[in-house]
Amino acid sequence: MSAVTRRLPRLWWLGAAVLVLLAISVLRVVTGAEDLASSGTVRATLIALVPIMLAGLGGLWSERAGVVNIGLEGMMVLGTYGAGYFGYHYGAWAGVAGALLMGAIGGLIHATATVVFGVDHIISGVAINIIAVGAVQYLASLTFVGLPGGGQTQSPKLDNVGSITIGPLSDALGEVEDQNIFFVSELAAVARAMVTNLSLLVVLAFVLLFVTYWVLWRTSFGLRLRSTGESPSAAESLGVAVLRYKFVAVLISGALAGLAGGFLAMVASSNYRDGQTGGRGYIGLAAMIFGNWRPGGLLAGSGLFGYTQTLGLRQGGTSVHALLLAVAVLAIGLAGYQLWRKQVRLAVGILVAAAALITVYAAIDVVPGDFVNITPYVVTLLVLAFASQRLRMPAADGQVYRRGSAG
Amino acid sequence: MRKTARFAAVAMAAALTLSACGSDEGTDEGTDNGDAPTSDIKVGMAYDVGGRGDQSFNDSAAAGLDQAIDEFGMESQESEAEDGEAESAREERLRTFADAGYDPIIAVGFAYAASIGKVAEEYPDVHFAIIDDSSVEADNVASLVFAEEQGSFLVGAAAALKTETDQIGFVGGVETPLIQKFEAGYVAGAESVNPDIEVDVTYLTQVPDFSGFADPAKGKTAAEGMFDNGADIVYHAAGGSGGGVFEAASESGNWAIGVDSDQYNTADPSVQDSILTSMLKNVNVAVYEYLSQVNDGDFPSGVTTYDLEVDGVGYSTSGGFVDDIVEQLDELKQQIIDGEISVPTAP
Repeated sequence: MSAVTRRLPRLWWLGAAVLVLLAISVLRVVTGAEDLASSGTVRATLIALVPIMLAGLGGLWSERAGVVNIGLEGMMVLGTYGAGYFGYHYGAWAGVAGALLMGAIGGLIHATATVVFGVDHIISGVAINIIAVGAVQYLASLTFVGLPGGGQTQSPKLDNVGSITIGPLSDALGEVEDQNIFFVSELAAVARAMVTNLSLLVVLAFVLLFVTYWVLWRTSFGLRLRSTGESPSAAESLGVAVLRYKFVAVLISGALAGLAGGFLAMVASSNYRDGQTGGRGYIGLAAMIFGNWRPGGLLAGSGLFGYTQTLGLRQGGTSVHALLLAVAVLAIGLAGYQLWRKQVRLAVGILVAAAALITVYAAIDVVPGDFVNITPYVVTLLVLAFASQRLRMPAADGQVYRRGSAG
Repeated sequence: MRKTARFAAVAMAAALTLSACGSDEGTDEGTDNGDAPTSDIKVGMAYDVGGRGDQSFNDSAAAGLDQAIDEFGMESQESEAEDGEAESAREERLRTFADAGYDPIIAVGFAYAASIGKVAEEYPDVHFAIIDDSSVEADNVASLVFAEEQGSFLVGAAAALKTETDQIGFVGGVETPLIQKFEAGYVAGAESVNPDIEVDVTYLTQVPDFSGFADPAKGKTAAEGMFDNGADIVYHAAGGSGGGVFEAASESGNWAIGVDSDQYNTADPSVQDSILTSMLKNVNVAVYEYLSQVNDGDFPSGVTTYDLEVDGVGYSTSGGFVDDIVEQLDELKQQIIDGEISVPTAP
């Protein structure tokens, strides 16, 4: 493996980010879809991507230790309630702690079932998803009914954790953004989103992403944890307490998923609401797979999903219309690449698809709502379809390990 | 044979009593009072998910029932659906009422459509009513539906009268024919005031993904997008996602319009001042009117539409933000009632 892996240059991700922004700038100028990179879009994208990213991080911890966690959705649901209950009674940061705690309880159940009792990971996870929804509805009817603005399906309004706004800088950047200068305005929009009403939980989420990377790939604790996901018997034969590592990993996984739910309840909206996770836990899992079980890839996956979803929700018709052109251009590039690889038939197929896209782009001005809503899913599927050849999951992921299997 | 039947009846009654233990809503509220009129009509009320206390649809239906109990001295028994319950559970709920002699039986919400159709066939002598659905055709079933497009027309007109940017928005929860009725009326109302007005329309999810009714985060993002793009008033028909729309309006200093109930009164105080008006859907009126007909010995069947004329729908004035345009709105209202304006039901 390592012999053929080429090392990417340092700070490659910064270069990639600049390239993406550059592409979006070109797209904006060509299509005139102004909302593609406004500061509002960037801010909403951050809000949309964080719950997915945190859920994905939860999945990462668990799966790197070899435990599949399809229960992320349920743990997120528990987290929304934790934020609702503790956030209302004890303040915003208690809400964060409550979300972590409730998610960790979900993780505890999953860890006990899969690690201690060797239950099939999928069965345990699905059970948690079902139980969590029922448990939270029950708890909500016990604790939120009768509170001002609360009821069976929602909590009262919650306080938000603080946010960062640097007023003068924000205004100055806003002026630059309004000038519509190619690339400069986009850069200003991104910078403006960073200094305007930036929630501390967003910052915390990115810190957690980095901490996850550092712990799992730069410490011996992380190395041991990952070894239990790759080859638990080898790890145990070398003295690693496999079950303990797995247990801890799933607990952390649950806490992170719970925080994802808490973020939804406190930052993305401002109360607990029955059913508000809307499948984001599953999307988080998909983002993690998309990202090849790596933090950076996971961020890219959740960013792609969050961005396309935000575009669809804000100025759906025009923005997604612009994306059609972008996809068509990408497809032409891909066809060229396939041609270079002498895959003529494939290249022709892709070219036909690109031609069809361009025809659609030219024929309509606004994409109908039905198609706007599926954009994030289609884009994710497309990218996965082309990138999935290189994905590699932890070798022992999803396998039940019993103590002493090393023999 | 007869003994068995009697035993069955007792068992049913016992089961009903036991099931009543689950909810603390009392029965016989009207009969406790000595002066209150009495009636031998027993109403079975089957709520949708949420039941009493949901601050919305079910609560409104309950208010209509309470009013009827107060005025006519009817007896009632209530039961509510659970989230994600099976079709058979809804049928069983209706059968339990019918077996125990409740007549009429009112089902709150279109989720009961299929089960009403089935159970009404099994009990041809019992009368049923269903709210928000008109798909069941039977002699013993009354469908109580609303002219949501007419109420939406009025709030659309209010938005067009109040906007300063000539651009307004509509956030729908899930793109279903029912929610499209809201959109159609809203757009028509706005255009009746200002033919050149621009109306942005966004639906949060598509069928069969119904999460769009419970996702305030998406509601907020959609409304923010509209406000950033130049709209200054956004109407939502998105159930629980509407909370996000209110927040977006409040944070950006714009207006939002509520739906179904007077949301100025139910929303959090911090966003109250951003709620221009609400489109009212008076489920209580429908329930009360139906029961008062029943009290007169008449069991209606077929579709009854509650529209502006009978105050089945309307708009709210809480907060006093639309006080200056009430005259114009009432004029439009009269024109709709008189048939001078016909409001479309599909966009």
